Amino acid sequence: MNQLFSRMPPLAAAALAALLAFVFAVVFMEQESDVAVISLLALGAVAAWGAGRVGLSRRVSAAAATRPGAVAALGGAVALGLLAVFAEDHFPLLMLSTVMLYATVALGLNVQFGYTGVVNFAGAAFFGIGAYTAAELVGRTALPPILVLPLGGLIAAVVGLVLVVPVVRTRGHYAAVVTIAFSVLFKTFLEVNDTLGGPQGLSVAPLSLFGWSFGEGPEILGISASFYLNYALAALAVLALAFVMVRRLERSWIGLSLDAVRLDETASACYGIGIRRSKILAFVVGNLVIGTAGALYGSMLGYIAPTSFTFSDSLILVAIVLLGGMGSPWGTVFAAAIVVILPEKLQAIQEYRFLLFSVVVMAILLFRPEGLLPRAVRRYMPAPKEVAR
Amino acid sequence: MMQVETALALDTLGLPITPERLLDIQGLAKSFGGVRALNDVSFSLGRGEILGLIGPNGSGKTTSFNVLTGLYRPDGGKILFDGADITGNSPQAVYRAGIARTFQRSRLCLELSIFDNIMVGNHARLNHGLMFNLFQRKAFRLEVESALAEATELAASFSPNLAAAMFEPVGALPMIERRRIEICRALISRPKLLLLDEPSAGMTHDETHQLMDDILAVRERQGGLSIIIIEHEMGVIERVSDHCVVLNYGEKIAEGSYQDIASDRLVQEAYLGSEVGR
Amino acid sequence: MALLGQYLVNGIMLGTIYALVAVGFTLFFGVLDVIKFSHGDVLMVGAFAGFTAAMAVAAVGISNPVLQLAASVVFALSVTAALGAAIAKWLILPLKHAPRMNILLVTLMLGTALREAVRLFYPDGSNPKAFPALLPTSALTLGDFTLRADSAILVAAGISVIVGLHLLINRTRLGLAIRAVAQDEETARTMGINYALVVLVTFALGSGIAAVAGVMNGLYYNEVNFGMGLLLGLIGFSAAIIGGLGNLYGAILGGFLFAMLQMLGAVAMPFASAYKDVFAFAVVIALMAWKPTGLIPERASERV
Repeated sequence: MNQLFSRMPPLAAAALAALLAFVFAVVFMEQESDVAVISLLALGAVAAWGAGRVGLSRRVSAAAATRPGAVAALGGAVALGLLAVFAEDHFPLLMLSTVMLYATVALGLNVQFGYTGVVNFAGAAFFGIGAYTAAELVGRTALPPILVLPLGGLIAAVVGLVLVVPVVRTRGHYAAVVTIAFSVLFKTFLEVNDTLGGPQGLSVAPLSLFGWSFGEGPEILGISASFYLNYALAALAVLALAFVMVRRLERSWIGLSLDAVRLDETASACYGIGIRRSKILAFVVGNLVIGTAGALYGSMLGYIAPTSFTFSDSLILVAIVLLGGMGSPWGTVFAAAIVVILPEKLQAIQEYRFLLFSVVVMAILLFRPEGLLPRAVRRYMPAPKEVAR
Repeated sequence: MMQVETALALDTLGLPITPERLLDIQGLAKSFGGVRALNDVSFSLGRGEILGLIGPNGSGKTTSFNVLTGLYRPDGGKILFDGADITGNSPQAVYRAGIARTFQRSRLCLELSIFDNIMVGNHARLNHGLMFNLFQRKAFRLEVESALAEATELAASFSPNLAAAMFEPVGALPMIERRRIEICRALISRPKLLLLDEPSAGMTHDETHQLMDDILAVRERQGGLSIIIIEHEMGVIERVSDHCVVLNYGEKIAEGSYQDIASDRLVQEAYLGSEVGR
Repeated sequence: MALLGQYLVNGIMLGTIYALVAVGFTLFFGVLDVIKFSHGDVLMVGAFAGFTAAMAVAAVGISNPVLQLAASVVFALSVTAALGAAIAKWLILPLKHAPRMNILLVTLMLGTALREAVRLFYPDGSNPKAFPALLPTSALTLGDFTLRADSAILVAAGISVIVGLHLLINRTRLGLAIRAVAQDEETARTMGINYALVVLVTFALGSGIAAVAGVMNGLYYNEVNFGMGLLLGLIGFSAAIIGGLGNLYGAILGGFLFAMLQMLGAVAMPFASAYKDVFAFAVVIALMAWKPTGLIPERASERV
């Protein structure tokens, strides 16, 4: 058994893992009872442990090192497969889309503090700026609705510029207080501002693309799919784009500079790295990604209110990054899935989710600070085959 | 632009511009809250020369490196490097002018690989354009390949183990290998001046000896590299330095060949005094 | 004029509460160079403990408000002091050598955990609780201006806590030990100071002071709720930072400054007093842009 897996070609191992993950996800999403969900979770944990024991995990990480593009494509295929299986069901599609959008946001946060060390405890606020941009623009202006996605990102990045000076000039806890203050300020502002709907919030008109309205379910191969399928596909596209771009950024000289700034500002400065330039770049790029995801999220929900963009939500986003492993894109996606789906499937813990995740993150910080899927050492190019031993 | 202005200023001051002098430090001063860390320190360094900067603990050696590399802004004095006035320039500008340094407490990024750490030092020679890095991946790949070949060769001249483990994290390596990586990081951009801050710290006598041999060999190959070395091991200073500057309480108390300063009464007092004081 | 006087009294009242919170942040930062972000939620736990004690005393038939108040304060103090020491021992000291950001994160998460725990597990914890009025409500009236006795007592109590802390830090052996550790941990250790003990005591002390602020807040607004700590913690943290972390008097100054800002926001924008917190935090953000380490800078010494 052990021999079987440790000799398996890496890509075949990755494909097998993807297939297992797909089957598991389908079965898991279909469970209704808490008992079934908990049993499946236990099974999943045992399977993950077992995969480590028989050497499957190592083969998969070898595949990720030697054939990163192919592994990413497998991930995309799993996501597409899940969307196809649940094409007719509102709720699972909504959940999967939320996972993908939260993962996108966490990727943006990763650029900010996973790589560069620029803390941002206002992730939910920038997410909300994207969503409110969508609410104000779609249907209310003559803009082609699909443009709200980049515009949501752009507006979030521009609003973020207000914080750039204090964020770049401060470090550590000082930067933290700036973003936490902004987070609280943003929610208070939404609540007292009548043009933005006050505490009741705003409705958001559905997106459309070349006359194809996202508000109606498409007919595909004679199946009338849920309208959420439109949003799920859009979310997948946004996530895929963010994933590829963040990966490329990490595996570049820019990514190296960002890491160096996080790890040692003094040494970085002595080797010509512009500290402010790096921090501004990371902060702006991160908010761009977060705002884009927010615009799509707002359109998808159709209704947004200040309570979705609180400081606690920002902490949940930070929790995703830490849980997955700082700077680890695959870990981020995995953690987003856990953090979003678990409370939805386990109604028993829905009420306790903030408590649960804060305790889990405390445990992670104390006992496994590198996260569930730790970041691998940077390889600028696919690693040569001999590394895959 | 800067250079023209500097040349004019030098002209009006009537100072000779001597091309054979790489570095000229004049009357450097730096205080921290009333404590004078550097007081009217002047020395100069010729091209290809190795200068030993010595003195008891707290005499201002590292402070002068920090002022020289732009980490601290001097309160007074001038730093002329390669014909340009670099006084008060940012650390980034000092690096681009051709000065690279190591740190007393090794400042490597421990989570990053050997290659990553060396590439931090190569910042000036790598393309950091957003388009190039994100979208022109084929051209980027070529740049990575040539940089990897160069870094591997440089690392190999210090230790074959390093060259064989370019993508291993630095944190797992012993002190001597970390020192070597730090020196590779400083040398990869082919600086004109290398500042070594106590390369022997945390290493055995033999390791230091070997490290200095390696540095001298690389210097030989790169040709014309000047070095300022801060060191407590007098054996190292005696072996490598062309001439020495001695600091005590932020002031220069002696200058000359190692033999000269070793027999200098002031220097002996400074060291003995500090030994007794401990 | 009378209105202005009223604002002034309000400002002093809030400033005292904020100063008490800020002082905690500064104490922790002094001895351990860390930010304990759960401080606001520890305060909230203290307020709930005080509320519980007051109710319990009333339930056994003691209706004397002085006894109720004493029970309330003593219980709140002991609970938070123990909580503060426990946090230091099991959460912060173990992470002493981890990146400082991890401590910030762990305490942020702990704050959430405390907040959620009270919301979920305290009987009817998700709703605000009416804090009993235990102070005399008679008032001194000068024309339009009224000074209520409870406000005066609260301010006096808060200021005496601050003065007490000042004496403790400057006149006692414990204060000396705290200052020594804050100055230089290594030297303090070699001088025979029990480092871990000083840290625990400091955390207990700072948290206890937060409990006083929590009970004061409850008495002033006649209400406690599970979310009160988040805003108070953030305000206290901002105040400590404005005043320069690690500087006790800076923190007190910062507390009053923040209260002044809020009052200024309310006076300057009477049409939009709802925006007073937005205004105050915007000013904090602007201050951080201007002076990145506070008005009285933190003593920074990084060895290169």
